[in-house]
Amino acid sequence: MSRSPSLPAALRAPQAARAGGLVLLAVLAWLLPYQLNVYWISVADIAILFALLAVGMGLVMGVAGQVNLAQIAFFGVGAYTTAILTTRDGYGFWTAAVLAMIATALAGAVVGTPALRVQSHYLGIVTLGLAVAFIDWITNAPVTNGDSGISGIPAPPLLGINLSSQYLYYYLELIVLAGGLAFGLFIVHTPLGRRMRAMRDDPLAASAAGTEIRPLRMIAFVLASVYGGAAGVLYAGMIGYIAPETFSIADMFLLLAMVIIGGRRSLAGCVIGAVVLTVVQQQLINLAAYAQLGYGLVVVAVVVFAPAGLVGIPGRFRSLYRRWRGSTGTSAVLEAFRPLPVAPAAAGVTPGEPLLEVSHLVRRFRGVTALDDVSLTVRAGEILGIVGPNGSGKTTLFNVISGFYRPHGGAITLNGRPASGMRPSQVSRLGVARTFQHLRLFGNLTVADNMLVSLDRTRTWWSWRYLCWPFGIWRYDRALKRRAAELLADFGLAQFAGMLPGTLPYGIQRRLELARAIAGAPRLLLLDEPAAGLNGEERAQLAMIVRSIRDSGVTVVLIEHNMGLVMSLCERIVVLDSGLVIAEGLPAQVSRDPAVLEAYLGKSAVPSPRASKAPQASEASQ
Amino acid sequence: MQSFFQTLVSGLSFGALYALVALGFSLVYRTMGLVNFAHGAVLMIGAYVASTFYLSARLPFAVAVPAAMAVTGAVGLVIERVLRPLENKDFDLMLIGTIGAGTVLQAAAILIWSSAGRGVSSPVQTAPFDVGGVRIPAYNVVVIAVTAVAMAALTLFLQRTKRGTAMQAVAMDHEAATAVGIHVGRSNAISFAIGAALAALAGALVGPMLYVSPTMGDSLGIQGFAAAILGGFGSIPGAIVGGLGIGVIGSFAAQSFQGYSDLVTFVVFTVLVMIRPTGIFGERTVNRA
Repeated sequence: MSRSPSLPAALRAPQAARAGGLVLLAVLAWLLPYQLNVYWISVADIAILFALLAVGMGLVMGVAGQVNLAQIAFFGVGAYTTAILTTRDGYGFWTAAVLAMIATALAGAVVGTPALRVQSHYLGIVTLGLAVAFIDWITNAPVTNGDSGISGIPAPPLLGINLSSQYLYYYLELIVLAGGLAFGLFIVHTPLGRRMRAMRDDPLAASAAGTEIRPLRMIAFVLASVYGGAAGVLYAGMIGYIAPETFSIADMFLLLAMVIIGGRRSLAGCVIGAVVLTVVQQQLINLAAYAQLGYGLVVVAVVVFAPAGLVGIPGRFRSLYRRWRGSTGTSAVLEAFRPLPVAPAAAGVTPGEPLLEVSHLVRRFRGVTALDDVSLTVRAGEILGIVGPNGSGKTTLFNVISGFYRPHGGAITLNGRPASGMRPSQVSRLGVARTFQHLRLFGNLTVADNMLVSLDRTRTWWSWRYLCWPFGIWRYDRALKRRAAELLADFGLAQFAGMLPGTLPYGIQRRLELARAIAGAPRLLLLDEPAAGLNGEERAQLAMIVRSIRDSGVTVVLIEHNMGLVMSLCERIVVLDSGLVIAEGLPAQVSRDPAVLEAYLGKSAVPSPRASKAPQASEASQ
Repeated sequence: MQSFFQTLVSGLSFGALYALVALGFSLVYRTMGLVNFAHGAVLMIGAYVASTFYLSARLPFAVAVPAAMAVTGAVGLVIERVLRPLENKDFDLMLIGTIGAGTVLQAAAILIWSSAGRGVSSPVQTAPFDVGGVRIPAYNVVVIAVTAVAMAALTLFLQRTKRGTAMQAVAMDHEAATAVGIHVGRSNAISFAIGAALAALAGALVGPMLYVSPTMGDSLGIQGFAAAILGGFGSIPGAIVGGLGIGVIGSFAAQSFQGYSDLVTFVVFTVLVMIRPTGIFGERTVNRA
């Protein structure tokens, strides 16, 4: 969240309280073993391992939105690799642990591969199937000793500390969990995690903002697997004996229940869910069937009544309290737009030169030809309008240019370089930004985070820094946040920085989407019906903003049904009808063109200059 | 060659059962937009109810099975009412919510019938048919025939009756369906009940082939779900082809790789899904544009 420099002291208090709470929690966790008997310390040790597994699940499912039902297999790969390397091959524990982590990361890459092609329930059953396959392997393979499992795994040696004591092992686990949680939270709140959350909320809009979806999904799976592997290594070292029954599908579902009940979108929630369910399960272990009944009922109840999980409950009460108090929420207001700094053109582009050339573009959907040999040129520094009746192929043209659809023929050239058939993220990196006809904001990201996703222009492989140079990431993130605050102030949105887009009025959401597109520092901006749903005053502001954007060196193409806006804003207009370019030229020429009048009003319409205002009537209502 | 056909026959018999399970998944998904992970547990309940009628009440098998379908269908109505808030929701929530419901059913089964399983004697005592040296157990023929009849009946119901057409309308656009006077809640309840009855049929039929136990639905549910995905989620011909496909793959995997049949089946399944993500017949989804 971006905080402006002059943060009121009142807003800082919760941060101080949070830091104090963390310290208190750490002290309590440190003192906990003194209060526990031998039985409960082993429960605590198991709870921490489940918490570690749950944090991994939270990262891949809650943060990146990828269904992963193979976490228990990652746990197993970590544990079995450690066990096999220490008992059969005689490696030391820590060497085996490192190799086990590498093996688990590879397993994560394998399980993540299907995510490149399928999502949602398909991904669910595929990852579950791979987990079943893994369980089948460990119950049958000679190397895993089948059903009887592997015993005699040594406790990890550590500076002469006797880690075969469950009490001392607790501290080792606690440190690993704290480190894992801190690293996970660091990811969530910095560029990598922000992109993952954007991808979860809207993969299409995320890719148009430059996010490389596939590598990011892969990273999410590998991250989850590394947490699973760490838990597996620790489990092998703690118990000293592993067998297939520890890695069952029932445990996978238990883990899933922990994540959902705790709150999948919050890593802290995952930890809470893991601890609560482990303790509850241990309490009820003697009641087996009744415990199972109760556990099932609780799961159903939480999902039905508290979909955000346990961590979501305080927020629900807070908003109920606010409603009870009668306060209507926020007093934030939209401020005036501050014109962007004027620049003749972006570097390497001469005004008037062709920036985007579309030639003979064809795109079909089954039998329908949505784009039929469309050619047009966008010159640097202009505002080009694209108009046409509904279904004439305008949005399809944008979708082909921005890489959502592959063209079936023709070519796109951007600044002299071929740009057809590229992925949306590649098009975005070439300096093309867009908005959508139906708003596509990242619904669970704050206004500031929406901007930050677009501002971050790094490639996905830049994320290697997370492994060895987190400080560099932190500094980069701070710079991004400063820039986001500036841009939000320019667009008059500063007061909404910490809010979720869904809570804002429609006109403000439209402006935010425009600001988000500009945050990507594009050379070419594609606006798809930017005035749809805006009132008269908002439309006037929009015209001013678009002109200022153009004056700052960005070329603008806009699709719009509001002819008043098109006529006043655009220097040139292209008219599409049934996938064909039927007219092109200055607004005054185009509005008198007989072909255009026919397309809008039908053959019988008398071509008279007065009719030019008529097309306005066809404004789309969503 | 003979052993090839022997394996094929056994694969097809199990495949027919997977097809029935897949059909239940697909029907519920297609009409309600609910991915129901409790389906395996419903199947298990059906198997227990059928075996209770057949073994304890000593009803003939042909009576016990429809009775079990009716009872399980009624249980389905209750489950649907509980899960109604999850319909058309985010997949993670449906996943864990229906898994939770499955856990409840499993616990109920343990409380009613104890956690020890029971064997069910085959209701058909005829000697296996011998077709060119390939032995086909008579019961397997019954299973395949009953499955085929159930599929045909369901297809006719969906396409030829007013209720069936209304259910398809709900699947395509539940708001528009409401607007033309279809009671969406009732339509969903009926489709869930039919799905549960299909699961009970599968459970009742599988009883004499495997073993009836509280956990029997876990593996059958996963195989049936995989079958539905392989065929094209929501498609009826897809459920049949997917079910037979998973059955045959599993049967050949078991013959060639013994214990590793699950491993081979699911690796092959993963590869197939990656090659053709929407399944053989393409997904018939609920329209949520």
